[in-house]
Amino acid sequence: MPVIIHTDKCNECNGSSNPPCVRMCPGDLWMKDPKTGKIVMRNASDCWDCLPCVKVCPQEAIEFRLSYQLGFQTARLLPHIHNTRDFITWELIDTNGVTDKFTIRTKVLPVELDESIEGVTPAEYSI
Amino acid sequence: MEKNVIETDVLIIGGGTSGCLAAVELKELYPNLSVTIMEKAHVDRSGCLAGGMNAINAYLNPGETPESFTKYVRFDSCGLVREDLVLSMSELFEYCVKKVEKWGLPILCDEKGNYVPRGRWNIKINGESLKPIIAKAAKNAGAKILNWVTATNFIMADGKVAGAMGFSIKNGNFFIVKAKATIIATGGAAGIYKPNNAHDAQHKTWYSPYNTGAGYAMGIRAGAEMTSFEMRYIGLRVKDTIAPTGTIALGVGAPQINSKGEKFMAAKYAHIGGDGAPTPYRSHGPLQEIKEGRGPVYLDTRHITAQQARDLKSAFLDMYPSMVLYWAANEIDPSKEPVEVQTTEPYVVGGHTQSGYWVDVNRKTSIEGLYAAGDVSGGAPYKFVSGCWAEGVIAARAAGEYVQKTGFAQIPENVLKDEQERVFSPLMNQTHKIDGINNYDMEVRIQKIMEEYAGGAATFYEVNDERLQVARRRLSTLPDQFKYLMAEDLHDLMKAHEVIDRVYVAQVLVEHMMYRKETRWPGYCTRTDYTELDDTNWLKFVNSRRDPETGNIEMFTRPYEQIVPGDRYKPR
Repeated sequence: MPVIIHTDKCNECNGSSNPPCVRMCPGDLWMKDPKTGKIVMRNASDCWDCLPCVKVCPQEAIEFRLSYQLGFQTARLLPHIHNTRDFITWELIDTNGVTDKFTIRTKVLPVELDESIEGVTPAEYSI
Repeated sequence: MEKNVIETDVLIIGGGTSGCLAAVELKELYPNLSVTIMEKAHVDRSGCLAGGMNAINAYLNPGETPESFTKYVRFDSCGLVREDLVLSMSELFEYCVKKVEKWGLPILCDEKGNYVPRGRWNIKINGESLKPIIAKAAKNAGAKILNWVTATNFIMADGKVAGAMGFSIKNGNFFIVKAKATIIATGGAAGIYKPNNAHDAQHKTWYSPYNTGAGYAMGIRAGAEMTSFEMRYIGLRVKDTIAPTGTIALGVGAPQINSKGEKFMAAKYAHIGGDGAPTPYRSHGPLQEIKEGRGPVYLDTRHITAQQARDLKSAFLDMYPSMVLYWAANEIDPSKEPVEVQTTEPYVVGGHTQSGYWVDVNRKTSIEGLYAAGDVSGGAPYKFVSGCWAEGVIAARAAGEYVQKTGFAQIPENVLKDEQERVFSPLMNQTHKIDGINNYDMEVRIQKIMEEYAGGAATFYEVNDERLQVARRRLSTLPDQFKYLMAEDLHDLMKAHEVIDRVYVAQVLVEHMMYRKETRWPGYCTRTDYTELDDTNWLKFVNSRRDPETGNIEMFTRPYEQIVPGDRYKPR
């Protein structure tokens, strides 16, 4: 499984009906389980490893791993966005648990916890 | 199913690299026009740029001109490109890059404030957030965004495109967007062939696995003229992660070596530039080494310093983070051992190669009311990010002008009804529990046919007439099987249409490969029955048009026109 969600850290964005990880997946893979309310991935094998969901999670509850066929456990990669939004620090942990950090300039735009689904149900479009 | 009917002056299908720039340009030129983007995901992180980007790979560094760029692209495409299109996009590189920089994209500059060149055509950026930055500009400009609406077909009226139809993958509403002009900017197609990795890494692909050829398929079904599908893109990529190699090859100057340590590109392809040979040869060369028993093949990075290795990792984090994790997860240090490479699954992508809509210099397609920009548009390879921006701008200017003198078309009711029925039938099949097939099974079926008979990686991308005949015959049965597709939910329904679209693209692709009886781009499409490049008979474009009534695909050629003087096989 390429990305894993730590259910102890995930708070479903306090009941957001449309949390950032679900909105930002270009493959429509994260969803809110209608029964449990938990955030689940539909099909991990459809993941592109592009990481918008990892970067956007306010709880840093999503962690990036490689599929086991491509890399050994428990190497992982965690992006941390600085409060200024001008830098991102990537924490890289290799198979021996050795940590390395890379701080890179960026321009991260704020993302709302909830966002009405633009354009999907505006009343004026219905007939 | 509820229906949403929208009227907009200009509809842009695909809110990616091209679509966002097109929206901004339109609203800047014509503030009163209504502009709507139809996007299958969320514009903030959709399309090829979802993961980010670390360089602008098409930019005129000091001393270069649109003419010198066109010369290079012509060389890189083995002597055959639409020079008018390449010239017109390169004239806008600076305009687009400066614009996006103003929106907040960090670009590396020297102490004098000039961009830092990486090779002739590249500048370095910190583009981890490039996609949200351009999406925000489109929103700020006042474009209406329809997120999670996947386009399924154009609305055709009197032989013109009068908008498009689609459905929401979030609530299942059927969308009818009537437009005076439409810009198609949906990107290229992945997943036509068997992917490089299997099982839970099947989408560990270089090109976005969510770009599944919708824009090509819509054009094919509507009878638009298409060009050069046979110039498939097969990239040289880092083994397993399928990460781009330009970051390494250009970033630290790493030559290709085989398992014996021989610099085979320099030794065997010196006459066409060695390690700087045209892109298809940079895939063809290593393939021959592997085929003849001298694999694995590597990019030799053993000369780089520890600091350079760190810089390399930083560059990948901006664009392709899994590369860095892969090294950490496999105890690989690129400054101590060379980086193994492989070639990708074949993609159909007009931004790297030149498969797509046949357009005029204004990016107008063969159908009135329809413009094409970015990976879906043909004839102009080497677009990458900035060329896609430029094409968005060009298409926007032309579409904006066109809508000044045109109105909304009268749309026959049956067009909308038929499409609604077609779109939702996989859901109905599920409800009625017919003896059906799911989208994944059909995807694997088409990938198997293409892999084995239409030049997949397993056959070193080689084709001949006999193999292609088999592919043609097997593919011809698939459209009759669409009626068995079942979808459990809306996500599944989207995937069902993705596989349907891929079938249309694959059919046209096979016809194109069969028609060009030469090998112009070894590595991309090697014909074992016509092994040589043949300028006498094939210095021209192979084009196609599918008859919407009969479904027959008509093949024909269009002449090549040399605009920039000079030797077509030289990079300068």
